[in-house]
Amino acid sequence: MEVENTDLKDFKLRPMKCECNFLSKSDGSAILSQGQTVALVSVNGPLDIKMTSQSIEKATLEVLFTSKVGKPSVADRYKEHVIRQTCESAILGSLYPRTGITVTIQELEDYGGFTVCSINCACLALLNAGVAMRHTFAGVACAVDEQGNIQLDPDAAQLETARATMNFVFDSREKRLITSLTNGSFSEDAYKEALERCRSASQLVFDFYKDIVSKYSYVIG
Amino acid sequence: MKVKVGDVVLPGDLCEEIVAAGEKSKVILGPGLKKEVDGIYVSKAGTLRKRAPNTYWVDNYQKRYIPARGENVIGIVAQKAGDIFRVDVGGSCTASLSYLSFEGATKKNRPKVVIGDVVYAKMLVASKDMEPEIVCVDSHGKKGRLGVLEDGFVFKCSLNLIRKILNPDCPLINSLKNQWPFELAAGMNGRIWIKANTLRETIALGNAILGSEYLSNDEIKSMCTNIAGILAGHIS
Repeated sequence: MEVENTDLKDFKLRPMKCECNFLSKSDGSAILSQGQTVALVSVNGPLDIKMTSQSIEKATLEVLFTSKVGKPSVADRYKEHVIRQTCESAILGSLYPRTGITVTIQELEDYGGFTVCSINCACLALLNAGVAMRHTFAGVACAVDEQGNIQLDPDAAQLETARATMNFVFDSREKRLITSLTNGSFSEDAYKEALERCRSASQLVFDFYKDIVSKYSYVIG
Repeated sequence: MKVKVGDVVLPGDLCEEIVAAGEKSKVILGPGLKKEVDGIYVSKAGTLRKRAPNTYWVDNYQKRYIPARGENVIGIVAQKAGDIFRVDVGGSCTASLSYLSFEGATKKNRPKVVIGDVVYAKMLVASKDMEPEIVCVDSHGKKGRLGVLEDGFVFKCSLNLIRKILNPDCPLINSLKNQWPFELAAGMNGRIWIKANTLRETIALGNAILGSEYLSNDEIKSMCTNIAGILAGHIS
Protein backbone atom coordinates (compact mmCIF):
# COMPACT_ATOMS: atom_id res chain seq x y z
CA MET A 1 0.00 0.00 0.00
CA GLU A 2 2.75 2.43 -0.82
CA VAL A 3 2.10 5.32 -3.13
CA GLU A 4 4.18 8.10 -4.55
CA ASN A 5 2.97 10.95 -6.68
CA THR A 6 4.61 13.45 -8.97
CA ASP A 7 2.15 16.07 -10.19
CA LEU A 8 2.11 18.47 -7.28
CA LYS A 9 4.37 20.75 -9.28
CA ASP A 10 1.79 23.21 -10.62
CA PHE A 11 1.14 24.61 -7.18
CA LYS A 12 4.69 23.91 -6.01
CA LEU A 13 3.41 21.66 -3.25
CA ARG A 14 6.08 19.44 -1.82
CA PRO A 15 5.94 15.79 -2.96
CA MET A 16 3.63 13.59 -0.86
CA LYS A 17 4.24 9.96 -0.06
CA CYS A 18 1.98 7.73 1.95
CA GLU A 19 1.71 4.22 3.29
CA CYS A 20 -1.61 3.04 4.65
CA ASN A 21 -1.95 0.26 7.22
CA PHE A 22 1.54 1.04 8.47
CA LEU A 23 0.74 -0.32 11.95
CA SER A 24 -0.54 -3.87 12.12
CA LYS A 25 -2.41 -3.74 15.42
CA SER A 26 -4.46 -0.56 15.08
CA ASP A 27 -7.78 -0.45 13.23
CA GLY A 28 -6.46 2.06 10.74
CA SER A 29 -3.17 3.85 10.31
CA ALA A 30 -1.24 5.93 7.82
CA ILE A 31 2.20 7.45 7.55
CA LEU A 32 2.42 10.54 5.37
CA SER A 33 5.36 12.66 4.30
CA GLN A 34 5.01 16.07 2.70
CA GLY A 35 8.51 16.99 1.68
CA GLN A 36 10.62 16.25 4.74
CA THR A 37 7.73 16.61 7.19
CA VAL A 38 6.50 13.21 8.36
CA ALA A 39 3.48 12.30 10.49
CA LEU A 40 2.20 8.93 11.68
CA VAL A 41 -1.45 8.56 12.66
CA SER A 42 -3.24 5.58 14.16
CA VAL A 43 -7.03 5.33 14.47
CA ASN A 44 -8.79 2.95 16.84
CA GLY A 45 -12.50 2.53 17.11
CA PRO A 46 -15.40 2.60 17.39
CA LEU A 47 -14.68 0.96 20.74
CA ASP A 48 -15.97 0.80 24.28
CA ILE A 49 -15.14 3.76 26.51
CA LYS A 50 -15.90 4.59 30.12
CA MET A 51 -19.43 5.67 30.98
CA THR A 52 -18.55 9.25 31.93
CA SER A 53 -17.23 10.13 28.48
CA GLN A 54 -19.92 8.33 26.51
CA SER A 55 -22.38 10.40 24.52
CA ILE A 56 -25.78 8.85 23.82
CA GLU A 57 -26.16 10.48 20.43
CA LYS A 58 -22.74 10.33 18.82
CA ALA A 59 -19.28 8.87 19.02
CA THR A 60 -16.77 10.58 21.29
CA LEU A 61 -13.68 11.56 19.36
CA GLU A 62 -10.40 11.71 21.20
CA VAL A 63 -7.23 13.08 19.63
CA LEU A 64 -3.84 12.45 21.20
CA PHE A 65 -0.89 14.39 19.90
CA THR A 66 2.64 13.32 20.72
CA SER A 67 5.53 15.55 19.76
CA LYS A 68 8.96 14.13 19.02
CA VAL A 69 10.70 15.49 22.09
CA GLY A 70 9.79 17.12 25.35
CA LYS A 71 6.79 17.02 27.61
CA PRO A 72 3.26 17.52 26.33
CA SER A 73 2.71 21.26 26.19
CA VAL A 74 -0.19 23.70 25.99
CA ALA A 75 0.57 24.19 22.28
CA ASP A 76 0.12 20.46 21.74
CA ARG A 77 -3.24 20.56 23.55
CA TYR A 78 -4.30 23.40 21.26
CA LYS A 79 -3.30 21.41 18.16
CA GLU A 80 -5.23 18.41 19.46
CA HIS A 81 -8.27 20.62 19.88
CA VAL A 82 -8.02 22.00 16.34
CA ILE A 83 -7.56 18.54 14.81
CA ARG A 84 -10.39 17.08 16.90
CA GLN A 85 -12.83 19.72 15.73
CA THR A 86 -11.73 19.23 12.12
CA CYS A 87 -12.21 15.46 12.31
CA GLU A 88 -15.49 15.79 14.19
CA SER A 89 -17.01 17.83 11.37
CA ALA A 90 -16.18 15.04 8.94
CA ILE A 91 -17.01 11.88 10.92
CA LEU A 92 -20.58 10.57 10.91
CA GLY A 93 -20.52 10.06 14.66
CA SER A 94 -24.27 9.46 14.91
CA LEU A 95 -23.73 5.98 13.40
CA TYR A 96 -21.67 4.93 16.42
CA PRO A 97 -23.44 6.22 19.56
CA ARG A 98 -21.90 5.51 23.00
CA THR A 99 -18.55 4.58 21.53
CA GLY A 100 -15.18 6.23 21.31
CA ILE A 101 -12.86 6.82 18.38
CA THR A 102 -9.23 7.51 19.22
CA VAL A 103 -6.90 9.28 16.82
CA THR A 104 -3.25 9.18 17.88
CA ILE A 105 -0.79 11.42 16.07
CA GLN A 106 2.95 10.95 16.36
CA GLU A 107 5.29 13.63 15.08
CA LEU A 108 8.23 12.05 13.26
CA GLU A 109 9.86 14.97 11.43
CA ASP A 110 8.79 18.62 11.40
CA TYR A 111 10.27 20.66 8.56
CA GLY A 112 7.36 23.09 8.29
CA GLY A 113 3.64 22.54 7.77
CA PHE A 114 3.32 19.83 10.38
CA THR A 115 -0.26 20.78 11.34
CA VAL A 116 -1.63 20.24 7.84
CA CYS A 117 0.50 17.14 7.36
CA SER A 118 -1.00 15.59 10.50
CA ILE A 119 -4.52 16.61 9.43
CA ASN A 120 -4.06 15.01 5.99
CA CYS A 121 -2.53 11.96 7.58
CA ALA A 122 -5.45 11.72 10.06
CA CYS A 123 -7.87 11.79 7.11
CA LEU A 124 -6.00 8.95 5.39
CA ALA A 125 -5.94 6.92 8.60
CA LEU A 126 -9.69 7.45 9.08
CA LEU A 127 -10.29 6.28 5.49
CA ASN A 128 -8.12 3.24 6.18
CA ALA A 129 -10.02 2.45 9.39
CA GLY A 130 -13.33 2.48 7.51
CA VAL A 131 -14.95 5.05 9.80
CA ALA A 132 -18.05 6.50 8.09
CA MET A 133 -17.49 10.11 7.09
CA ARG A 134 -19.56 12.91 5.55
CA HIS A 135 -16.64 14.05 3.41
CA THR A 136 -12.88 13.88 3.33
CA PHE A 137 -10.79 16.88 4.29
CA ALA A 138 -7.51 18.27 3.04
CA GLY A 139 -5.25 20.84 4.63
CA VAL A 140 -2.94 23.24 2.80
CA ALA A 141 -0.44 25.55 4.47
CA CYS A 142 0.95 28.80 3.13
CA ALA A 143 3.33 31.53 4.24
CA VAL A 144 3.39 35.29 3.57
CA ASP A 145 6.92 36.68 3.23
CA GLU A 146 8.21 40.23 3.91
CA GLN A 147 7.28 41.41 0.39
CA GLY A 148 3.75 40.11 0.80
CA ASN A 149 4.20 37.18 -1.60
CA ILE A 150 2.27 34.04 -0.84
CA GLN A 151 4.18 30.77 -0.79
CA LEU A 152 2.15 27.55 -0.76
CA ASP A 153 3.32 24.64 1.38
CA PRO A 154 6.42 26.38 2.78
CA ASP A 155 9.45 24.43 4.02
CA ALA A 156 11.47 25.21 7.14
CA ALA A 157 13.74 27.80 5.45
CA GLN A 158 10.81 29.71 3.98
CA LEU A 159 9.01 29.69 7.32
CA GLU A 160 11.96 31.39 9.02
CA THR A 161 11.69 34.46 6.82
CA ALA A 162 7.90 34.45 6.76
CA ARG A 163 5.85 37.26 8.27
CA ALA A 164 2.75 35.13 8.64
CA THR A 165 1.72 31.52 8.25
CA MET A 166 -1.76 30.24 7.47
CA ASN A 167 -3.27 26.76 7.53
CA PHE A 168 -6.56 26.03 5.80
CA VAL A 169 -8.60 22.83 5.79
CA PHE A 170 -11.31 22.23 3.17
CA ASP A 171 -14.03 19.61 2.77
CA SER A 172 -14.25 17.50 -0.38
CA ARG A 173 -17.86 18.22 -1.34
CA GLU A 174 -17.87 21.92 -2.13
CA LYS A 175 -14.41 22.86 -0.89
CA ARG A 176 -15.87 24.81 1.98
CA LEU A 177 -13.49 26.05 4.64
CA ILE A 178 -13.57 23.83 7.75
CA THR A 179 -10.60 25.11 9.71
CA SER A 180 -8.45 28.19 9.47
CA LEU A 181 -5.39 28.56 11.67
CA THR A 182 -3.27 31.68 11.20
CA ASN A 183 -0.20 33.14 12.80
CA GLY A 184 1.48 36.55 12.38
CA SER A 185 0.28 39.76 10.73
CA PHE A 186 -1.12 40.09 7.22
CA SER A 187 -3.62 42.18 5.29
CA GLU A 188 -7.18 41.14 4.59
CA ASP A 189 -6.43 40.94 0.85
CA ALA A 190 -3.48 38.64 1.48
CA TYR A 191 -5.74 36.39 3.55
CA LYS A 192 -8.34 36.24 0.79
CA GLU A 193 -5.78 35.53 -1.90
CA ALA A 194 -4.12 32.84 0.22
CA LEU A 195 -7.50 31.25 0.93
CA GLU A 196 -8.37 31.00 -2.76
CA ARG A 197 -4.97 29.65 -3.76
CA CYS A 198 -5.06 27.06 -0.99
CA ARG A 199 -8.60 26.13 -2.02
CA SER A 200 -7.45 25.32 -5.56
CA ALA A 201 -4.36 23.53 -4.28
CA SER A 202 -6.51 21.34 -2.01
CA GLN A 203 -7.79 19.56 -5.14
CA LEU A 204 -4.33 18.04 -5.53
CA VAL A 205 -4.52 16.61 -2.04
CA PHE A 206 -7.97 15.13 -2.76
CA ASP A 207 -6.62 13.61 -5.99
CA PHE A 208 -3.78 12.16 -3.95
CA TYR A 209 -6.27 10.52 -1.55
CA LYS A 210 -8.13 9.01 -4.49
CA ASP A 211 -4.88 7.73 -5.95
CA ILE A 212 -3.98 5.94 -2.73
CA VAL A 213 -7.43 4.46 -2.17
CA SER A 214 -7.61 3.22 -5.77
CA LYS A 215 -4.19 1.58 -5.53
CA TYR A 216 -5.21 -0.55 -2.58
CA SER A 217 -8.86 -1.04 -3.61
CA TYR A 218 -7.77 -2.93 -6.72
CA VAL A 219 -5.62 -5.26 -4.66
CA ILE A 220 -8.13 -6.19 -1.95
CA GLY A 221 -11.14 -6.57 -4.28
CA MET B 1 -17.78 14.48 -7.20
CA LYS B 2 -20.18 12.29 -9.17
CA VAL B 3 -19.44 8.59 -9.37
CA LYS B 4 -20.78 5.44 -11.01
CA VAL B 5 -20.73 1.72 -10.20
CA GLY B 6 -17.26 0.17 -10.32
CA ASP B 7 -15.46 3.42 -9.50
CA VAL B 8 -13.20 4.00 -6.56
CA VAL B 9 -15.15 6.30 -4.28
CA LEU B 10 -14.29 8.53 -1.33
CA PRO B 11 -16.56 9.88 1.41
CA GLY B 12 -18.59 12.85 0.15
CA ASP B 13 -18.99 11.57 -3.43
CA LEU B 14 -22.51 11.85 -4.86
CA CYS B 15 -24.21 8.88 -6.58
CA GLU B 16 -26.79 10.10 -9.08
CA GLU B 17 -27.09 6.68 -10.69
CA ILE B 18 -28.65 5.24 -7.53
CA VAL B 19 -31.11 8.12 -7.22
CA ALA B 20 -32.14 7.58 -10.86
CA ALA B 21 -32.59 3.84 -10.23
CA GLY B 22 -34.54 4.65 -7.07
CA GLU B 23 -37.15 6.56 -9.01
CA LYS B 24 -38.09 3.47 -11.00
CA SER B 25 -38.02 0.87 -8.24
CA LYS B 26 -36.89 0.43 -4.66
CA VAL B 27 -33.14 0.24 -4.08
CA ILE B 28 -31.23 -1.26 -1.16
CA LEU B 29 -28.33 0.75 0.22
CA GLY B 30 -25.60 -1.36 1.76
CA PRO B 31 -22.69 -0.30 3.94
CA GLY B 32 -20.86 2.86 2.92
CA LEU B 33 -23.84 4.65 1.40
CA LYS B 34 -26.02 7.20 3.13
CA LYS B 35 -29.19 8.95 2.06
CA GLU B 36 -29.30 12.66 2.69
CA VAL B 37 -31.82 15.33 1.77
CA ASP B 38 -30.28 16.12 -1.60
CA GLY B 39 -29.08 12.71 -2.75
CA ILE B 40 -27.14 9.60 -1.86
CA TYR B 41 -23.63 10.14 -0.60
CA VAL B 42 -20.72 7.77 -0.11
CA SER B 43 -19.45 7.50 3.48
CA LYS B 44 -16.55 5.05 3.13
CA ALA B 45 -13.53 4.76 0.86
CA GLY B 46 -13.48 1.81 -1.52
CA THR B 47 -15.09 0.44 -4.68
CA LEU B 48 -18.77 1.10 -5.41
CA ARG B 49 -20.48 -2.18 -6.26
CA LYS B 50 -23.90 -3.25 -7.47
CA ARG B 51 -25.71 -6.55 -7.43
CA ALA B 52 -28.64 -6.86 -9.80
CA PRO B 53 -31.33 -5.76 -9.59
CA ASN B 54 -31.02 -3.01 -7.01
CA THR B 55 -28.47 -3.51 -4.23
CA TYR B 56 -25.60 -1.06 -3.91
CA TRP B 57 -22.71 -0.99 -1.47
CA VAL B 58 -19.12 0.14 -1.00
CA ASP B 59 -16.45 -2.52 -0.71
CA ASN B 60 -14.00 -0.94 1.73
CA TYR B 61 -10.99 -1.93 3.76
CA GLN B 62 -11.79 -2.39 7.44
CA LYS B 63 -10.51 -4.22 10.46
CA ARG B 64 -12.98 -3.16 13.17
CA TYR B 65 -16.24 -5.11 13.20
CA ILE B 66 -19.59 -3.31 13.29
CA PRO B 67 -22.31 -5.88 14.20
CA ALA B 68 -24.84 -6.56 11.45
CA ARG B 69 -27.94 -8.75 11.67
CA GLY B 70 -27.76 -12.26 10.25
CA GLU B 71 -23.98 -12.54 10.04
CA ASN B 72 -22.11 -15.54 11.42
CA VAL B 73 -19.42 -14.51 13.89
CA ILE B 74 -16.78 -16.12 16.07
CA GLY B 75 -16.83 -14.90 19.66
CA ILE B 76 -14.97 -15.64 22.86
CA VAL B 77 -17.02 -16.09 26.02
CA ALA B 78 -15.84 -13.36 28.38
CA GLN B 79 -18.26 -13.51 31.28
CA LYS B 80 -21.09 -15.55 32.74
CA ALA B 81 -23.85 -13.32 34.09
CA GLY B 82 -26.88 -15.21 35.45
CA ASP B 83 -28.64 -16.76 32.49
CA ILE B 84 -26.65 -15.06 29.75
CA PHE B 85 -23.07 -15.21 28.55
CA ARG B 86 -21.19 -12.08 27.53
CA VAL B 87 -19.31 -12.82 24.33
CA ASP B 88 -16.54 -10.72 22.85
CA VAL B 89 -17.12 -10.49 19.10
CA GLY B 90 -14.71 -7.63 18.40
CA GLY B 91 -17.37 -4.91 18.22
CA SER B 92 -17.61 -1.83 20.40
CA CYS B 93 -19.40 -3.77 23.16
CA THR B 94 -19.81 -7.43 24.04
CA ALA B 95 -22.71 -9.44 22.62
CA SER B 96 -25.13 -11.35 24.83
CA LEU B 97 -25.80 -15.06 24.33
CA SER B 98 -28.62 -16.66 26.28
CA TYR B 99 -27.99 -20.15 27.64
CA LEU B 100 -31.37 -21.19 26.18
CA SER B 101 -30.27 -20.40 22.63
CA PHE B 102 -28.35 -23.65 22.22
CA GLU B 103 -29.74 -26.81 20.64
CA GLY B 104 -31.69 -28.86 23.14
CA ALA B 105 -31.05 -26.48 26.02
CA THR B 106 -33.70 -26.18 28.72
CA LYS B 107 -33.80 -24.57 32.15
CA LYS B 108 -32.75 -27.92 33.63
CA ASN B 109 -30.33 -28.92 30.90
CA ARG B 110 -27.78 -26.10 30.65
CA PRO B 111 -25.22 -26.14 27.85
CA LYS B 112 -21.63 -26.75 28.90
CA VAL B 113 -20.04 -23.40 28.12
CA VAL B 114 -17.22 -21.96 30.20
CA ILE B 115 -15.35 -18.64 30.13
CA GLY B 116 -12.76 -18.64 27.35
CA ASP B 117 -14.70 -20.94 25.03
CA VAL B 118 -14.88 -20.02 21.36
CA VAL B 119 -18.40 -19.99 19.92
CA TYR B 120 -19.60 -19.79 16.35
CA ALA B 121 -22.89 -17.91 16.44
CA LYS B 122 -25.35 -15.90 14.40
CA MET B 123 -26.17 -12.23 15.02
CA LEU B 124 -29.84 -12.07 15.97
CA VAL B 125 -30.11 -8.45 17.05
CA ALA B 126 -27.64 -5.84 15.87
CA SER B 127 -28.51 -2.21 16.15
CA LYS B 128 -26.32 0.78 16.84
CA ASP B 129 -28.41 1.69 19.90
CA MET B 130 -28.62 -1.75 21.48
CA GLU B 131 -26.35 -4.44 22.73
CA PRO B 132 -25.96 -7.11 20.04
CA GLU B 133 -27.50 -10.53 20.72
CA ILE B 134 -26.20 -13.75 19.25
CA VAL B 135 -27.67 -17.27 19.11
CA CYS B 136 -26.29 -20.74 18.46
CA VAL B 137 -29.45 -22.18 16.89
CA ASP B 138 -31.38 -21.44 13.69
CA SER B 139 -35.09 -20.62 13.57
CA HIS B 140 -35.96 -24.35 13.67
CA GLY B 141 -34.09 -24.88 16.93
CA LYS B 142 -31.34 -26.85 15.20
CA LYS B 143 -27.69 -26.00 15.78
CA GLY B 144 -26.51 -26.64 12.23
CA ARG B 145 -22.87 -25.60 12.16
CA LEU B 146 -23.22 -23.18 15.07
CA GLY B 147 -22.11 -23.84 18.63
CA VAL B 148 -18.98 -24.15 20.73
CA LEU B 149 -15.80 -24.74 18.70
CA GLU B 150 -13.63 -27.35 20.41
CA ASP B 151 -9.81 -27.24 20.21
CA GLY B 152 -8.40 -25.57 17.10
CA PHE B 153 -6.69 -22.25 16.66
CA VAL B 154 -8.21 -18.76 16.32
CA PHE B 155 -6.55 -15.80 14.60
CA LYS B 156 -7.66 -12.35 13.51
CA CYS B 157 -7.56 -10.76 10.08
CA SER B 158 -9.19 -7.91 8.18
CA LEU B 159 -12.89 -8.08 7.34
CA ASN B 160 -12.06 -7.99 3.62
CA LEU B 161 -10.10 -11.20 3.84
CA ILE B 162 -13.11 -13.00 5.34
CA ARG B 163 -15.34 -11.78 2.53
CA LYS B 164 -12.68 -12.74 0.02
CA ILE B 165 -12.23 -16.33 1.17
CA LEU B 166 -15.99 -16.85 1.57
CA ASN B 167 -16.58 -15.63 -1.98
CA PRO B 168 -17.55 -18.68 -4.11
CA ASP B 169 -15.16 -17.45 -6.82
CA CYS B 170 -12.17 -17.54 -4.50
CA PRO B 171 -10.03 -20.66 -5.19
CA LEU B 172 -8.33 -20.71 -1.75
CA ILE B 173 -10.52 -23.21 0.11
CA ASN B 174 -11.08 -25.36 -3.00
CA SER B 175 -7.33 -25.64 -3.66
CA LEU B 176 -6.52 -26.44 -0.04
CA LYS B 177 -9.28 -28.91 0.78
CA ASN B 178 -7.85 -31.62 -1.47
CA GLN B 179 -4.33 -31.28 -0.09
CA TRP B 180 -4.85 -32.18 3.56
CA PRO B 181 -7.86 -32.53 5.88
CA PHE B 182 -8.84 -29.55 8.04
CA GLU B 183 -11.82 -27.77 9.57
CA LEU B 184 -12.37 -24.06 9.16
CA ALA B 185 -14.89 -21.54 10.47
CA ALA B 186 -14.74 -17.94 9.24
CA GLY B 187 -16.57 -15.28 11.27
CA MET B 188 -17.65 -12.10 9.52
CA ASN B 189 -16.11 -10.23 12.46
CA GLY B 190 -12.58 -10.90 11.19
CA ARG B 191 -11.80 -14.06 13.12
CA ILE B 192 -10.96 -17.44 11.67
CA TRP B 193 -10.96 -20.72 13.56
CA ILE B 194 -8.96 -23.58 12.05
CA LYS B 195 -8.31 -27.14 13.12
CA ALA B 196 -5.98 -29.56 11.40
CA ASN B 197 -4.41 -32.87 12.43
CA THR B 198 -0.91 -31.59 13.16
CA LEU B 199 0.74 -28.36 14.21
CA ARG B 200 2.56 -28.10 10.85
CA GLU B 201 -0.69 -28.36 8.94
CA THR B 202 -2.37 -25.76 11.16
CA ILE B 203 0.45 -23.28 10.63
CA ALA B 204 0.49 -23.94 6.89
CA LEU B 205 -3.26 -23.36 6.70
CA GLY B 206 -3.05 -20.14 8.72
CA ASN B 207 -0.24 -18.82 6.55
CA ALA B 208 -2.09 -19.73 3.36
CA ILE B 209 -5.15 -17.78 4.50
CA LEU B 210 -3.25 -14.71 5.71
CA GLY B 211 -1.00 -14.77 2.65
CA SER B 212 -3.92 -14.66 0.23
CA GLU B 213 -5.08 -11.19 1.31
CA TYR B 214 -3.29 -9.25 -1.45
CA LEU B 215 -3.07 -12.00 -4.08
CA SER B 216 -5.11 -12.56 -7.24
CA ASN B 217 -6.94 -15.82 -7.87
CA ASP B 218 -4.15 -17.28 -10.02
CA GLU B 219 -1.51 -16.32 -7.49
CA ILE B 220 -3.57 -17.95 -4.72
CA LYS B 221 -3.67 -21.22 -6.68
CA SER B 222 0.09 -21.30 -7.19
CA MET B 223 0.69 -20.35 -3.54
CA CYS B 224 -1.52 -23.24 -2.37
CA THR B 225 0.35 -25.75 -4.56
CA ASN B 226 3.60 -24.35 -3.23
CA ILE B 227 2.53 -24.67 0.42
CA ALA B 228 1.18 -28.18 -0.16
CA GLY B 229 4.52 -29.11 -1.74
CA ILE B 230 6.48 -27.83 1.22
CA LEU B 231 4.17 -29.62 3.64
CA ALA B 232 4.48 -32.91 1.79
CA GLY B 233 8.26 -32.54 1.89
CA HIS B 234 8.81 -32.25 -1.86
CA ILE B 235 10.40 -28.82 -1.49
CA SER B 236 12.49 -27.91 1.50
